[in-house]
Amino acid sequence: MASRAEEALTSASGRPASPDPLVGLLGDCGRGDRDAFERLYRASSAKLYGVAVRILRREDWAEEVLQDCYVSIWTHAPEYRPGLAAPMTWMTSIVRNRCLDWLRRPRPEVPDEDGSATEQAESADAGPLALLESSTEAGALARCLATLEARQRQAIALAFYDGLSHSELAHHLRQPLGTVKTWVRRGLLRLKDCLGLPQ
Amino acid sequence: MDYRNKPELAERLAGEYVLGTLRGPARARFRRWMAQDGAVALAVHEWEARLSPLADAVAPQRPPGRVWNAIESRLGERRRRGFFWQGLAWLASGAAAAMLAMAFLLPALKPAPAAYVALLTDPKTQRAVLYVSADRKGTALRVKALDPSIRVADASLELWALPRGGKPRSLGLVPGERGVLPLAAVADEALGDVPMLAVSLEPKGGSPTGAPTGPVLYSGPCVKDW
Repeated sequence: MASRAEEALTSASGRPASPDPLVGLLGDCGRGDRDAFERLYRASSAKLYGVAVRILRREDWAEEVLQDCYVSIWTHAPEYRPGLAAPMTWMTSIVRNRCLDWLRRPRPEVPDEDGSATEQAESADAGPLALLESSTEAGALARCLATLEARQRQAIALAFYDGLSHSELAHHLRQPLGTVKTWVRRGLLRLKDCLGLPQ
Repeated sequence: MDYRNKPELAERLAGEYVLGTLRGPARARFRRWMAQDGAVALAVHEWEARLSPLADAVAPQRPPGRVWNAIESRLGERRRRGFFWQGLAWLASGAAAAMLAMAFLLPALKPAPAAYVALLTDPKTQRAVLYVSADRKGTALRVKALDPSIRVADASLELWALPRGGKPRSLGLVPGERGVLPLAAVADEALGDVPMLAVSLEPKGGSPTGAPTGPVLYSGPCVKDW
């Protein structure tokens, strides 16, 4: 596992990856450094905003969520432990959780009336997942995803990228609820076996 | 539903929680479970590490400038509100902060078998100050100071088990930076009904009465990691 990750990281630059500068910025935020917080925002907000827009599909909602999340990142920065979770992992989890909570609120519109989400679902394999393979840090995950059955991979991609729940997955994929639940469960199990424990 | 001692269920739900398919009341229930059980928090932490590279594939998009302005003004407001409200908010987030810190600390202990673990925090600073653990079938309580500055001169820090519905039981004096305290029985008996540990400030050598006499300085949940 470690050697595979090392290989992926060194092959990109020809030398071992330098330490993530976000670690230092988060540490400074934890000590109340507002300038460091601004640098952290500049370095990470485009990526986190992209994640939020993708799940929420509304830029105004994504803006609100992003605001809440950065306030939360500032507040909780003293609890961040470097080395135990990568900064982007820690921050992405905060954003995804907030997005999923947001989606729990009653939605004014019925999603996918026109079938656009289904189209996205069908193109999901070729879209983000193909891009993933070109990202060296995600290389192991991309390789493991490739070992999944296509429908398991599609269900997992739709859930992660578009924030679909089990019942929304069933609706969009036009399958019984029990079937998509099984795809997700088996897909996750397989990913876990393939990836081993995170380092 | 009783979730305790169901590692396979915890593992499956943790994966679905992080993936995002676990929703509605089930998501809220799972979060409560996660807040009470360090092992569940650890499973979530591991799933986050596994799946977060998926986010690398999402195209970055620069947020409008007003987002940063709004964040700045919210943080500014917070400062003006002053210490009282800030203190109150910190107190309210105390338990959550302790669990979060615990989720980050637990991976280091992963290979250890079933154990009781507790993370004591200083309510003033919200920093974790003391890490306590004991193997389920063992009689040794391992104590590690995470903040060496907690030592006190001419006084002692005494560690207490706060059993559910019972009087505090002394576990001994905090042994400097790192040490082991003998338990009166195997951990399963000594800590099985103890949801919380606390440290009080006592005269040198410990409480003369067998009950805490000084102020409680630190406390934190004691959880079963298996």
